[in-house]
Amino acid sequence: MDLAALEPGYELFSRRITITSDAINSYLDAVDDHSDAYAIQGIAPPMAVAALVMGEALKAIQLPSGAVHTGQELNFHAPIGVGSEVNCAAKVVQNSLRRGTRFLALEILAEVASERALIGRVSLAIPEESEK
Amino acid sequence: MPTPEALTEVTHKVTQSQLAKYANASGDHNPLHLDQTFAAKTPYGRTIAHGMLVLAFVSEAMAKNFGRAWMCEGKMKAKFRAPVYPGDTVITTGTLKLTLDATATYDLVVRKQDGSDVLTAEATVPIKS
Repeated sequence: MDLAALEPGYELFSRRITITSDAINSYLDAVDDHSDAYAIQGIAPPMAVAALVMGEALKAIQLPSGAVHTGQELNFHAPIGVGSEVNCAAKVVQNSLRRGTRFLALEILAEVASERALIGRVSLAIPEESEK
Repeated sequence: MPTPEALTEVTHKVTQSQLAKYANASGDHNPLHLDQTFAAKTPYGRTIAHGMLVLAFVSEAMAKNFGRAWMCEGKMKAKFRAPVYPGDTVITTGTLKLTLDATATYDLVVRKQDGSDVLTAEATVPIKS
């Protein structure tokens, strides 16, 4: 993907994903979180959902390998049950080039039954030379 | 339950196998996190942890202290200050910054074993007044 051509507002992807118990268990194992709080509550860790949406966004944007995550905002608005169907999306909100580094900001969104469950802003720094 | 002045700490030792697990769980297969040969040619010199993996430790600390309130209505804003390398042990701590309008805001830091900060964050959670 030509990163220089990404305009603010450009939608990177929009699709429905299912938050499976396997995906949640894999996530909790990966982040070494052995709390049973999520299982007791019957809800997915919101960070797991954020990670899945981010993963989809990164696939869509095909970031160069030198890209680095510099900042992250996340607002959780509602519980996301394990097994839920989630509409997730990501769009570009900022794209600038300064001193050989591209600064890209994305908005990520997850909705359950048309209700906003999670929204976030991802800040990325990409060395311009890695885009070539 | 009173609003704690300090959060229960969370400690993790990050490993290369954990980065592989995180890549599979999240779909983020950036070779900077997985490929030693590739990472050796970057300014980092070796593989580094995914930012979202380190941020998960912040969320874990908040969830440990606030449970469902955090999972359903938490907010956070984080800056990644320095890379975390496989083999690093990181400790997440949080201190109460303010309580306002039935919310509590905490300053959180993820710090390496050498005392350097790798991530700073501000997190807000609803509290019962």
